[in-house]
Amino acid sequence: MLGKGVVGGGGGTKAPKPSFVSYVRPEEIHTNEKEVTEKEVTLHLLPGEQVLCEASTVLKYVQEDSSQHGVYGRLVCTDFKIAFLGDDESTLDNDETQFKNKVIGENDITLHCVDQIYGVFDEKKKTLFGQLKKYPEKLIIHCKDLRVFQFCLRYTKEEEVKRIVSGIIHHTQAPKLLKRLFLFSYATAAQNNTVTDPKNHTVMFDSLKDWCWELERTKGNMKYKAVSVNEDYEVCERLPAYFVVPTPLPEENVQRFQGHGIPIWCWSCHNGSALLKMSALPKEQDDGILQIQKSFFDRIYKTIHRPPYEIVKTEDLSSNFLSLQEIQTAYSKFKQLFLIDNSTEFWDTDIKWFSLLESSSWLDIIRRCLKKAIEITECMEAQNMNVLLLEENASDLCCLISSLVQLMMDPHCRTRIGFQSLIQKEWVMGGHCFLDRCNHLRQNDKEEHQRQLSLPLTQSKSSPKRGFFREETDHLIKNLLGKRISKLINSSDELQDNFREFYDTWHSKPTDYHGLLLPHIEGPEIKVWAQRYLRWIPEAQILGGGRVATMSKLLEMMEEVQSLQEKIDERHHSQQAPQAEAPCLLRNSARLSSLFPFALLQRHSSKPVLPTSGWKALGDEDDLAKQEDEFVDLGDV
Amino acid sequence: MWWGGRGQSFNIAPQKEEPEMGLSGPKSVQESRMPEPRSRRLSSCLASGCLPGEQILAWAPGVRKGLEPEMSGTLICTNLRVTFQPCGWQRNQDTPLSSEYDFALVNIGRLEAVSGLSRVQLLRPGSLLKFIPEEILIHGRDFRLLRIAFEAGGLEPQAFQVTMAIVQARAQSSQAQQYLGITLSKAGQGSGSRKPPIPLMETAEDWETERNKQGARGWRVSTVNERFDVATSLPRYFWVPNRILDSEIRRAFGHFHQGRGPRLSWHHPGGSDLLRCGGFYTASDPNKEDIRAVESMLQAGHSDVVLVDSMDELPSLADVQLAHLRLRALCLPDSSVADDKWLSALEGTRWLDYVRACLRKASDISVLVTARVRSVILQERGDRDLNGLLSSLVQLLSAPEARTLFGFQSLVQREWVAAGHPFLTRLGGTGASEESPVFLLFLDCVWQLLQQFPADFEFSEFFLLALHDSVRVPDTLTFLRNTPWERGKQSGQLNSYTQVYTPGYSQPPAGNSFNPQLSVWDWDLRYSSAQILQFQNPGYDLEQCPDSWLPRLQVKCLNFLNSLDFPTGSCCQTGRSERHNVLSSLGKAPHYSSAAVTYSPWLSLGRQMS
Repeated sequence: MLGKGVVGGGGGTKAPKPSFVSYVRPEEIHTNEKEVTEKEVTLHLLPGEQVLCEASTVLKYVQEDSSQHGVYGRLVCTDFKIAFLGDDESTLDNDETQFKNKVIGENDITLHCVDQIYGVFDEKKKTLFGQLKKYPEKLIIHCKDLRVFQFCLRYTKEEEVKRIVSGIIHHTQAPKLLKRLFLFSYATAAQNNTVTDPKNHTVMFDSLKDWCWELERTKGNMKYKAVSVNEDYEVCERLPAYFVVPTPLPEENVQRFQGHGIPIWCWSCHNGSALLKMSALPKEQDDGILQIQKSFFDRIYKTIHRPPYEIVKTEDLSSNFLSLQEIQTAYSKFKQLFLIDNSTEFWDTDIKWFSLLESSSWLDIIRRCLKKAIEITECMEAQNMNVLLLEENASDLCCLISSLVQLMMDPHCRTRIGFQSLIQKEWVMGGHCFLDRCNHLRQNDKEEHQRQLSLPLTQSKSSPKRGFFREETDHLIKNLLGKRISKLINSSDELQDNFREFYDTWHSKPTDYHGLLLPHIEGPEIKVWAQRYLRWIPEAQILGGGRVATMSKLLEMMEEVQSLQEKIDERHHSQQAPQAEAPCLLRNSARLSSLFPFALLQRHSSKPVLPTSGWKALGDEDDLAKQEDEFVDLGDV
Repeated sequence: MWWGGRGQSFNIAPQKEEPEMGLSGPKSVQESRMPEPRSRRLSSCLASGCLPGEQILAWAPGVRKGLEPEMSGTLICTNLRVTFQPCGWQRNQDTPLSSEYDFALVNIGRLEAVSGLSRVQLLRPGSLLKFIPEEILIHGRDFRLLRIAFEAGGLEPQAFQVTMAIVQARAQSSQAQQYLGITLSKAGQGSGSRKPPIPLMETAEDWETERNKQGARGWRVSTVNERFDVATSLPRYFWVPNRILDSEIRRAFGHFHQGRGPRLSWHHPGGSDLLRCGGFYTASDPNKEDIRAVESMLQAGHSDVVLVDSMDELPSLADVQLAHLRLRALCLPDSSVADDKWLSALEGTRWLDYVRACLRKASDISVLVTARVRSVILQERGDRDLNGLLSSLVQLLSAPEARTLFGFQSLVQREWVAAGHPFLTRLGGTGASEESPVFLLFLDCVWQLLQQFPADFEFSEFFLLALHDSVRVPDTLTFLRNTPWERGKQSGQLNSYTQVYTPGYSQPPAGNSFNPQLSVWDWDLRYSSAQILQFQNPGYDLEQCPDSWLPRLQVKCLNFLNSLDFPTGSCCQTGRSERHNVLSSLGKAPHYSSAAVTYSPWLSLGRQMS
């Protein structure tokens, strides 16, 4: 009865023995038992996915609070995910298919999504890692997408507990092979349609043609050229096979320092100024080599800095801006605000919510990123300067800042296809180290983080700065550094003024020029992205409300307009028009909450109770008026 | 005319020739002596925007600073307001008030004169200006800031004159002063703007109609306070239980603080009632009969009712005032709070905490009244502040009618205006000691609801903002009096009443036919019809309309009640978390977690103006 890709547990899905001291009320266990016998729950395996271990009679808490309600089921660990197969899947109505995606179900945790695993021993929560001597009664899994799962193992057989806990710990924490990580076989099985028209499809930037198309689109082809010098990654593995450099730059220069020190084109503004990025030259102690680097750099520099025709401004993101460590620290603090184990914790953090948010500095980091991007926009838009982003590998903050600048300046990047192409260009082809930054391979314990636009950012690798600033010989660096220092000393006020003026002028203008978009970065304007961070917290959801309500109203209206339009057309052509199918996604769902469509389903099962404080009952006392405010308790209401 | 005779420079002689007025308005007395020859033409131009009875006291050319773009124009001080009139700007004759350039004198919270970089003088009403100002700063109570730099070069006397005129005008105008002229000029046009007119709850008919609408069968309209002799702060009419006699009411109400005994606020279609009353009068010594009367009034036919102490868990009036002052400091354009410290500064004001506390308490009560069909009595010592706030919020949460434009205005009129919320005192009209913007706190609570349930309200954020701004525009008596009695006295209705007083339901013959009193709900006093159109929330879900909503609510309630299969005794030991779940399951519970409570953009308005 279990087909391919479906695994039946050996003795699984047995109902709990009634002799347990249970947190769950007997009726519930009874109901579950009945359901189990009626329905066999099946595990959906992807092609090539294998089950590693499993345990039955695991209780998954709906929400850990004093009521301790939960759902019984099987906990399975495969080589791709941890899955919980609840016995109440039958309650899923049609609506709720909206809450799933094709690969991962509501109760699935992919292995690389696991952030921390905790065990509860005698009411104490401990981090689990390595070999365990004692196995916990309860398993708490914090996911990187901020979900929190709680599994009670009290009713599970001891050997099953051992197997599943150590299995999960091993498979989530041990260093991994890349091929185990993702759904390569699934992706192969899925249809692969290659399309080429860059207007309607994401540009992959894996061919000369794509880059030429982008150059043409931004009118950068006058001054920049696409090169194939790195075809087959012969020069450098970090760089894409094809990229764009200034036209006067001789291609052989790229090979000189394996792509370091080469200004790589990101994007051209309508006025001809360009955004470029460059990975720093290797740090050298030897004066001779430094001399060589200097003359090399001087040559390169002249290709983009030719006053008065072209002036370049260098932004050193490695030392003059956020450090990756800063970002990591802030994100770790920030995410703790959302990894909530129970509602008590939720209300505890609620009291000081704003100051907690602020002290994580995450929002301030976002503000600084946006501000930097506005500064660069100002240089390009108002001062007509080229901007060269400089970073050690040009693959972290460079990606972030350059995508933000393009989002602000180029309306094309704000279309869906344009945005996808932007991510592809700046992050994927830009060589962002997703594997390291997300620590997918679990090779060390340093962690990752994500930017507000959900673009993964960066990880810190502390680099020895010694020697980098040796100023007696290092003329090359002086060239860059000098700019930086002079900027800090002399022109920082002026720069600030320019920025301020540009920012204020733009915001007081009713019309935008060339589709430029500048974000507000004042204190009240930088907000928490509720859909991303609060979606798993039932306490934070507004059923039937929030922006989603407005959104669904809007969709409904559009649908109505469309059907009216169709009716008009029909009348006009006096022919049978195709029936408007309009399956409004958002309609008819009682579960629609402010965090749709990404929120966890809310199942209200806990008993509602009213508080006592502040309530007073009116008794039958005779001397009511004398009693003033002293009333007996609302005991028998 | 002499301004207190303190000095020559601001001695302003009466104008000999009256300037031309606008097309329709009555002529105002123009009093200004300006040196330049162009002044006559200019002043006639200035006067064209005058309200009837408005007098221009002084004016000076200046430049509005701090806002983009900087504008040159004229700063005018009249006996009603301070206006900055940009060059070439023409006042819209249809809506002569509430332009972004007007500051009603009552709205001026603080006036500062600046000279050079260091000389700053804070000008209180009656202060004497010590120097010729280069700039003046007018801080509005509504968080606006008007910064005017005067033109230099021989015009200083005018700068001095206009500044002194503002100081004097503030000293002479009282908070209670109304733009009377506008009322007169608009009164002729009738109240056609109110469609349907918002019942002012000043007649027994209004109360009877509303009672029928709510289906409160066990209640009747009492006329016992028709002459305001039970309580001046109470409306002339209110609802009491059917079987209680007026004589009993009179006796029973005497045992409550300021005579504010228990009255019905709202009747839930499920059968429960929401009542409000003041605290028990400590010095009274009721006899057995009185006690029985009080008791049966409180119980109003229900076997058990819940008495809620409105002040419990909510901020005190002083707390509200302090929080609002802090919030204003934070939101003023010259706030020095760094962007990365904004959130903790906001938290530090505690304003949002108070908003949450109100929402929390109101949703608790609404669960009690709707889902558990329990009658609730709100008791607050004065019964004029938090009771109104809670009662209105509970109705907004539980009654879809209250979420319509008409319903909301009637609600405010009934629970705040008619119920005797001391607007004048709370908004700072009678000195700072008892100032406390409870009504603004209420509006902020409503704004939060609007954010959380954007499809459930017929009115828009724009409407709320308009109401908020109207609090500082003294064109009608709505927010300019503390009690219905004072309001009635002013409008002259009272006299006509007392002479023809007859007990019972009989109406005064003239009634409101001869004196259509204008109220804040006459929006066309302040807004153009295009603006009034924006009061409608385009996202309002028509299915939310009262007719279809009510049954749905009851189904929801039933579902909810079915799940209440626990012994009532267990009520006693719960935390906030579970309580919250209760509310969420009702579907219309507001969220009061910090994550859900947003800071409203209108608060940051001032900042953005900077």
